Amino acid sequence: MSYPQFTDDFKQDKKLLFRTKLWVTIIHLVFVSVLILMGCAKKKEKIIVWSSMRPVERAVLDSLLKEFSTSYPQFEFSQLFYAPEEARTNFIISALAGKGPALIHGASDNIGPFVELGVIRPMEDLFSKNYLNTFIEKPIPAKTYFRGHLYQIADRVGNHLCLVYNKKLVPTPPKTMSELIEMGKKLTVDENGDGKPDRYAIAWNYTEPFFFIPFITGYGGWIFDKNYHPTLNTEATRKAAQLIYDLVNKYKIMPKECDYEIANALFKDGLTAMIINGPWSWGTYLKNKIPIGIARIPKIDETGLWPAPLVSPMGYSMNVNLRGKKLEITKELLKFLTSKQAVLRYTRVSGTIPSVKAAFKDSLVQNNPLIKASLDQVMVGRPMPVVTEMRWIFDAMRPAYQGIFTGQVTPEQAVKQMQKLAEKLIKENRE
Amino acid sequence: MSGYFFSRKNRLVYLYVMPAMLVMALIVLWPFVYNVVISFSDMNLTHFKNWKIIGLRNYVAVLSDTNFWYFFFKTILWTVLNLIFHVGIGVMLALIINEDIKAKSFFRTLLILPWAVPQYITALTWRGMFNSEYGAVNLLLDHLFGLQVPWLSTEWGAFTACLITNIWLGFPFMMIIALGGLQSIPKSLYEAAEIDGASRWQQFKDITVPLLKPVMVPAITLGVIWTFNNFNVVWLVSNGGEPSDKTHILVSWVYKAGFTYFRMGYAAAFSMIIFAILLVFGWRFIKHTKATENVYS
Repeated sequence: MSYPQFTDDFKQDKKLLFRTKLWVTIIHLVFVSVLILMGCAKKKEKIIVWSSMRPVERAVLDSLLKEFSTSYPQFEFSQLFYAPEEARTNFIISALAGKGPALIHGASDNIGPFVELGVIRPMEDLFSKNYLNTFIEKPIPAKTYFRGHLYQIADRVGNHLCLVYNKKLVPTPPKTMSELIEMGKKLTVDENGDGKPDRYAIAWNYTEPFFFIPFITGYGGWIFDKNYHPTLNTEATRKAAQLIYDLVNKYKIMPKECDYEIANALFKDGLTAMIINGPWSWGTYLKNKIPIGIARIPKIDETGLWPAPLVSPMGYSMNVNLRGKKLEITKELLKFLTSKQAVLRYTRVSGTIPSVKAAFKDSLVQNNPLIKASLDQVMVGRPMPVVTEMRWIFDAMRPAYQGIFTGQVTPEQAVKQMQKLAEKLIKENRE
Repeated sequence: MSGYFFSRKNRLVYLYVMPAMLVMALIVLWPFVYNVVISFSDMNLTHFKNWKIIGLRNYVAVLSDTNFWYFFFKTILWTVLNLIFHVGIGVMLALIINEDIKAKSFFRTLLILPWAVPQYITALTWRGMFNSEYGAVNLLLDHLFGLQVPWLSTEWGAFTACLITNIWLGFPFMMIIALGGLQSIPKSLYEAAEIDGASRWQQFKDITVPLLKPVMVPAITLGVIWTFNNFNVVWLVSNGGEPSDKTHILVSWVYKAGFTYFRMGYAAAFSMIIFAILLVFGWRFIKHTKATENVYS
């Protein structure tokens, strides 16, 4: 038996296979090397600001970042928008992972959870006394301290709800709830006679606790006692819930299923004469050439009290992960964003109350009727408590409060459920 | 046996798969193990960094919570209804498209569109369309039948709104899979059946269904897992569980516990239970349907 011999063809095939393998290996090596080199290429370091600003204000922030970037060409500055709740959650997740934006802009009610989770850094050691003294203390302090440390520096103060009205439809705003209801009956119009209103008197994001709290205070109630124990199961909360329910279902001057975007769209399209909204929205209305006026949320007739919206500073907090040069630049950026010129730019486009003393005294602020009216509302506002419990109060109110409008619970049952859930959440998170 | 695994030939294979294995270990195994550990801990907003092991307390808390059982029931209902519509509509459309109809490719493209649009956009668009006064759905219902459905402000209205949105999003996947399966069935089988006098229904029952099964079973298994865990649609259409935190499935509730209330230990235990449910389902379903076995064996 003879074994087969290697033929020339077989040898040639083997040679060809070897060559092919060699070329494939070389191509792969080159490809991988290029990828590695691309990865190692020096990139500009990014400094990102997260905010929940409305589009007109985001345009201002964009221009400020662009301006600032000319002094630091080795860095790339940008901003990212998140809705307030998403901004809070996403910032926590990313900062805990050692990443996230350099600065986060928002209201001071996030400071509690941020500090508990250790995702923002104290700032009192970063800035001089002179700089820190440039901020207003009244009507609301622009700097937010928590557990003895400075965690937020505001570029505006207020963040408060007001009654915004379309002057074309409402020449004089209502001063009391009974006036609002009376006026509302005339302003709610069924133009085509199909039995459904084509225009409502008023709309707002009424199922959201932030928009509900002013009415609790209007009936003389509050959400906490002095030990931050929830006080939601009260007659004041019940009456406030009943009032909102009646505005929708009894007086029918407000639309059903009205969230923030719907209310805002209705007001912009002239399909509602009034809205309860905050300073963040006014810029958009002005840009849309809506002749707006601002007034206090109407007084509750029964108590004679003005509903007190939550007032707070709105500003920047620093990511705990910032180090070295990036920390230095971010510090400078924060100073730039809270300079007189910068804060006044927001005032110009959306009528915000600036946080800097020099800007506060500026004629742009002092002579602006919108800001004057806004300040008038702030005067009866209630400072937003900078405690973590605030989050659980909001979260506890939402389900039961919304249940009133779906017919699942009565206002009496709802306030009991709110209280129970608030106590449960606080206990679960504090144990 | 170990000699076989670590033979020279196999060592090279291990070397090739090593980078993928390392990445998988980093992005799947490590978070999984971490999740198991914190499910036995008291990690929450107050004890985020100084957490300690508390044994089975979180598991007891989850299983004794009425919300868990209620949302478990809703999740099952959600998954079953979605799958019935996904497969039903998907197969029906695939059967139509598989016929010789005019503008076949146009219809095929049109029907895939819902799948091509990002879920986020679809969900928010549907949410707008379900508004009781200004949404397109009620405007149409009102015009045609004089109906005004409070979609988003009632518990079952919101559930139905989420369901309709997800059916819209999910049927193209099943349609494509079914279409692939249908195209691989030899025409000769139908011709033979026709000669034997089989009706269209008999052809469907005895040829199409059995031959589609090997393709559809893995797709349905995937569909069950995706739908069971379909956080996006439920969260976005119901705006985070509204009204009154009633519109949840297990995963959206676990997200709320974890990232709204920051009860990390509780949420981790909750997610381990979800994992166990899906593991048992997947294992039983695959075993029962023999989905991993060779079709031609």
